[in-house]
Amino acid sequence: MKKEQTQKPVEEKAPDGNAGSGKAEPPRVAGAPFKERRFRQTHLPAHFIERRKRPRIQTEPPPPPAPPRLEDYAAIIGKPELDEIRFLARHLQGKTVKMVNSTAVGGGVAEILNRLVPLMNELEVPTKWEVITGGNDFYEVTKGFHNALHGGEYNLNQQIQDIFMSYNEQNRQRMEFVEDLFVIHDPQPAGLIRSKSETRGRWIWRCHIDLSNPHAGVWDFLKPMVEQYDAAIFSSPAFTRQLNVPQYLFYPSIDPLSEKNRDLEESFIDKVCDDFGIDRSRPILCQISRFDRLKDPVGVIEAYKLVKKYVDCQLVLAGGGATDDPEGAAVLEEVMAAAGDDPDVIILNLPPWSALEINALQRASTVIIQKSLKEGFGLTVTEGLWKQKPVVAGAVGGIPTQIIHKLTGVLVHSVEGCAYQVRYLLTHPEFAAQLGKNGREHAKENFLITVNLKRWLLLFQILLGVAKPSKTS
Amino acid sequence: MAAAPQVLTSRRWARAPFYFNSAAHLLRIGKEKATNLQELLDAVRSCSDACIFQHTFQTLEEHHFIREGFSNDFSHWAFSACNEVGLAERLAALDVREFTSIAALRERVVHIMESYLERNPRATTRPAMEPFYLMAVDLVVVPTPYVARNLEEFAEGLRNVSIHSIYYHFIDARLRIKLNNNDFSVWLDRDLDMGAAADRINRIDIYTSTLEGVRRNILRTIEGEMART
Repeated sequence: MKKEQTQKPVEEKAPDGNAGSGKAEPPRVAGAPFKERRFRQTHLPAHFIERRKRPRIQTEPPPPPAPPRLEDYAAIIGKPELDEIRFLARHLQGKTVKMVNSTAVGGGVAEILNRLVPLMNELEVPTKWEVITGGNDFYEVTKGFHNALHGGEYNLNQQIQDIFMSYNEQNRQRMEFVEDLFVIHDPQPAGLIRSKSETRGRWIWRCHIDLSNPHAGVWDFLKPMVEQYDAAIFSSPAFTRQLNVPQYLFYPSIDPLSEKNRDLEESFIDKVCDDFGIDRSRPILCQISRFDRLKDPVGVIEAYKLVKKYVDCQLVLAGGGATDDPEGAAVLEEVMAAAGDDPDVIILNLPPWSALEINALQRASTVIIQKSLKEGFGLTVTEGLWKQKPVVAGAVGGIPTQIIHKLTGVLVHSVEGCAYQVRYLLTHPEFAAQLGKNGREHAKENFLITVNLKRWLLLFQILLGVAKPSKTS
Repeated sequence: MAAAPQVLTSRRWARAPFYFNSAAHLLRIGKEKATNLQELLDAVRSCSDACIFQHTFQTLEEHHFIREGFSNDFSHWAFSACNEVGLAERLAALDVREFTSIAALRERVVHIMESYLERNPRATTRPAMEPFYLMAVDLVVVPTPYVARNLEEFAEGLRNVSIHSIYYHFIDARLRIKLNNNDFSVWLDRDLDMGAAADRINRIDIYTSTLEGVRRNILRTIEGEMART
C-alpha cells in the first residue's frame, strides 16, 4: 500500500522569494544554456526546491592540490604492497624513462601522467615527461585519426599522411632519446619510433583507445610503426589488434588520493548535497557522465521513472560538456525534456573543476548507474566501485571487466533491466552492501594507480632483462 | 633427575628458516579468442601453459575477495556468456589444488568440455554473448623482509605479508613443489615436525573462503599450536 504523505505540499517559490505564480523566473540548470523547466507542485521542503533551481556551483577553479607521496598510499594498499613496489623499483634504479604524449593538460592520459611520473621519480626511476608539439593541421589530422580508429569514416590521403609524419619528424629532431625506456602514448607521437635504431633503449607503445573496429586505411598506415615497438599495451583485450609484438594488459586506473576519489568528511558531502538541493534522507540514484547520447541519460530517466513507481527516490544526472559542445547542449535539452516537471530529477551541468563535488555526489548515492550504450573503459564505474557503492551499468566496453555480474555490481542491457536491478538493490540493502564491498576490493586489486605503477615497473624489468618471469608448467 | 628445560613451541627453532616471498604478475594478451565453446575448446588444447595458469590458478588470486560463484574464468564464461549452466558447474568444480602440473589441469578441462559438448552438440557453435580472450601471465617472484625461524616469527610474517604472498605460498606453490601441498605445510612438517597442524592448514578450503579468510584460518591454527605449550 502506498504510504500516505503527511507533509503538506509546499508551494513553489520564485527565486525572489515570492510564492510561485506564472510570473516566476523559470528555473534553470546551472551552467547550462538557458532552458525553462517548470517543476510541478511537490511535497518537497521549500529549500530543496529553491536549491534545485539554483544549485550553488563553484564558478572558479580551485588551486590544484599537492600531488601525494608514495607513503600516502600505505594507508590504502597496505605497507606490504608498498614494499613490493619499492622492491621492484630498486632493481631499476639508475634506469631512465621517457614518457611522451600529445597534451600536457586535459584528457585522461595527461591526468595519469601527472600522477605516475612523480611517483616513478620518487622511486628513483628517473622519468621524464615530454609533450609533442604541432600546428592546427596536425591536431586536425590526429583528431580525425582518433575518430577513425574508433570506427568512424575518414578520407586518408597522402597529404594527411605527410602532415602526420612531418610533425612527428619535427618532434623527433627536437627531442633527445638517451633514456633506457621510451613510452609513447597513443597514435599522435607513434612516428617517433623512427629514432629506435639510433637508441639503445626499449620502446613501448601505450594505446589508450579502442582499436577493435578501426578504419582500415588509418590502421594500415599506423600498424607498421606500431610493430617496430618492443611491446604494446592496451586497456582491454577487446581493444587490441593482431600485432607481431608482445601485447600487455594495463587496465586504466584511478588515483584513490585524487580529489575525485579521496575520502571526504560527511559534513562536506552534506554541504554539497545541500548546495544542489539533494535530500539525503531519501535514496539517491546517480549517473555521472558527459551529456552524451552514448551514455543514455534519457534511458536513465526512463529507468528512474519505473523505479519511482515503487520506491520514493531521487535521480542525479551530473556531468559536463554541455557548455562548450553543441551536441552536449542538445543532449542536455533532451534530458531536461525527459525529466519534465519532476523535481526529483536533479540535472547538474558542472564545470571541469568539480572533482570534489562529483566525489561527494558519488558518496551520497545509494546506487550508482552507468547505463552506457557504448563505452571506453568506464572510469566512472571504477570510481563508484572504489567508493563501495552498488553499481548498475550497461554491459559494454570495459564495464564487464569491472563488473562481474551480481558479484561486484550488476550488468544490464535495457531500461527495464536497469530499473529492476535498481529497485532490487534499493529494497535489498544487504545485497547492495555486499556488492559494494566486493566492488571496492576489485577496484583495489586491479584499477588503482598503485597497481599500474607496479605493472610499469614489472614491464620495465622484463623488457630490460632485469627480471625473468618464472615458468608455469 | 632434573627434567630438561621445556622450550615453548612458539620459540622452538626450525631446522631451516621460512622465507616469505610474494609474486607480482603482468598480463599478456594472447592471440587467441573464442566466440563459442568449440573455439574455446580448441584454444584450451593449443594455448600456452601460462594461459591455462592465468585462467585457473591466477584468477583465484585476482578474485580472492569473492567467496562464492567464481572459481575459474572458463566456468565463469560458460555461465555468463554462453548460458551453459551445466558446463559451468562442472568446470567450477575443478579444484586447482588437485593438480601439480598444468598439463594435467589442461587435460581435465579438455575432458570436461569434450564430454559436455558431445552430449550437447547445439552448444558447440552457438555464439557467445561476448568473446573469451585468452591471456597469459608473466610472474616475477618478489622477496619480502619477513623470515621465520620459529612459530612466533612465522605468525608475525603471516600477519604482515600481502595477500599475494599468501597466494604464492598457499596456492601457486603446488605447481612449484609438484606436490598436493603448500609451502606453509611443507615447512611446518619438515622443519618443525608439526605434521598435524600442517595437514589442517592444507585442508583449508580456498573455494569457500577469501584469501584473507585463508590467512585468518592459518593464523588460527598456528596460534592454537602456540597456545598449547
